[in-house]
Amino acid sequence: MISLSDVPARPGAVITPQIVLFAAVLLTAPFWLPMVGLYQYIGVEVAIWILYALGFNLLFGYAGLHSFGHGAYFGVGAYAFGLFQQEVAVSLWGGLLAAIAAACIAGMVVGAFLSHRRGIYYALMTIAFGQMFWFTAIKAHGVTGGEDGLLGIPRPPADFGIVSFDLSDNTSLFYFVVAVLLVVTIGLWRLVHSPFGRVLQALRQSETRAAFVGIHVWAVKWAVFALSAAIAGLAGGLFSMAQQSAYPDVMSLHQSGFIVMMTLIGGGLVSFWGPVLGVALYFVARDVLGSLTETWLLWYGLMFMIVVMLRPEGLAGAIHLLSERLRAPRARAAGQPAE
Amino acid sequence: MTLLLPHILNGLTLGLLFAMIALGFTLIVGVMETINLAHGSLFALGAYAAATILSPAILGDTAFAAWWGTLPLGTRYALALVVGPAVAALAGIVLELCLRRTYGKAPLYGLLLTFGAALVIEEAIRIAWGSGEQFLQVPAVINGPMFMLGLIYAKYKLFAAGFAILAIFAVWLFLERTPYGAVIKAGAHDSEMVRALGYDIGRLRMLVFALGAGLAGLAGVVMAPIWGLRPHIGIDVVIPAFLIIVVGGVGSFWGAVVSAILVGLAVGISGAYAPAWSMMSMYILLVLVVGLRARGLFGRKSQLEL
Repeated sequence: MISLSDVPARPGAVITPQIVLFAAVLLTAPFWLPMVGLYQYIGVEVAIWILYALGFNLLFGYAGLHSFGHGAYFGVGAYAFGLFQQEVAVSLWGGLLAAIAAACIAGMVVGAFLSHRRGIYYALMTIAFGQMFWFTAIKAHGVTGGEDGLLGIPRPPADFGIVSFDLSDNTSLFYFVVAVLLVVTIGLWRLVHSPFGRVLQALRQSETRAAFVGIHVWAVKWAVFALSAAIAGLAGGLFSMAQQSAYPDVMSLHQSGFIVMMTLIGGGLVSFWGPVLGVALYFVARDVLGSLTETWLLWYGLMFMIVVMLRPEGLAGAIHLLSERLRAPRARAAGQPAE
Repeated sequence: MTLLLPHILNGLTLGLLFAMIALGFTLIVGVMETINLAHGSLFALGAYAAATILSPAILGDTAFAAWWGTLPLGTRYALALVVGPAVAALAGIVLELCLRRTYGKAPLYGLLLTFGAALVIEEAIRIAWGSGEQFLQVPAVINGPMFMLGLIYAKYKLFAAGFAILAIFAVWLFLERTPYGAVIKAGAHDSEMVRALGYDIGRLRMLVFALGAGLAGLAGVVMAPIWGLRPHIGIDVVIPAFLIIVVGGVGSFWGAVVSAILVGLAVGISGAYAPAWSMMSMYILLVLVVGLRARGLFGRKSQLEL
């Protein structure tokens, strides 16, 4: 079993070949999506969920803190964006700030309860808190609109002072989401290779050891939870803009589980890019399998079980092993012992 | 107080039913240190199997279904109480075979695998029985209302509560008064030592898992007439189950029973004041208890905290 720190990373560089490739694939998506038989809107959805999954993996893969209730913060962000548009002002920046702030505050409050928990207890508590948010969203009709949710959320234009972009069509919204995603991706990439990122990995390996070398474990766990919740909130805000509505379903245990499944199948445990692969695979599975059979979730669930049983390192781990194996004969030829 | 009485009674019944759901869950957590998130789905599987036996219409328009329908409902109900748990236990054995790959790894993998299994079972139920709601018929003897202390109460709820007490007592007897129970408890305490004493730990785990899954199925058969049956009922069931285990303390039998009744009472009594929000009280109870006592009411140190 390989783990995150075995996968070589190049610290220091802000822009790596992977980021360039990632950006290139995303930015050209509107041209090739129709060619492979898909539609523009799926690009928006995939980009939003990649954003969500990358933030989630900071917690799940890097810090080893297993949250099974992350949909709550995604949902809080979605509702905050919608409520801001409806109650305060129709403004993109205000709405997104409200989404980030609301989810971050929710994450800070919940994180304060969670952060002295470990292991499975941590996971169980995140489920309980996630259910509390979901339950509240359904029951607080006056604020959230109950089971139907908030409807008719506008897509305000992206106003940069001198220029303003209209986001009402899916392609322009896609470019906006990708711009946000790339900024966050580069930020996260820097973060995980900063001293803070090293501390997170130290927590995953052993909280006790981390505490002995002088790391304030509680504070780090709390901070990373709030940060991850804030990113989920940003993704949620964008999602409510894409869907033009916010509803409680995204907060359900199922949806919170899907983000875990995507991250794990993609290989979030061993690679920064794992969640990206996982999200792409999920949406392709949903649309391709979903067009063949109504029971695609059964097959997706079975696939997930097989990945957990046989290859918990997921797709990224499989790719890593494959490249190692391809490199091994060359190493042997050079007279070095293959491992 | 008199006004609250029906709510307290409701809460007590609910607590006993919750305890019955949590029994199998706590057994599996105690011995295998695996949080079985598929517990609710096994509950649903047992209940759906029972629904098939009780309403032959599901079997289709065949001669067998017609003949089956002529059997007395009581006989069919008794049969359902056996077949439901058996189906769930069988599914549990399959799940345990899959889980073998995760033993010795972090407890996270067991949690993930059973989450996947819950999704698979739920979808399988949707394929086999459809997405619509199903209702279970019950024999006339235990159906209908009854009057007690000036209150109207559903006979079936009382039957279910009594059945739950019986099941709790039976599991307690099995664990405390039989040699099998002694081995299971020893396995929970120190599986290495049990293996050294010559017991087949693999078979023991399979037995415990089958037993836990069977109890989930049994709870499903008994409770489905009250709660109705939907494919996603598994989630509604597994949440109270794990909540009760965390409140009661992992691995404690009486802890689970006591906390189930506490949770039931909390939900029942808060239902008197804010019916729509009553389920919220169990989460508040969880946060309160775990905030004050990290290991729950009767918890001991466990592998799961690592």
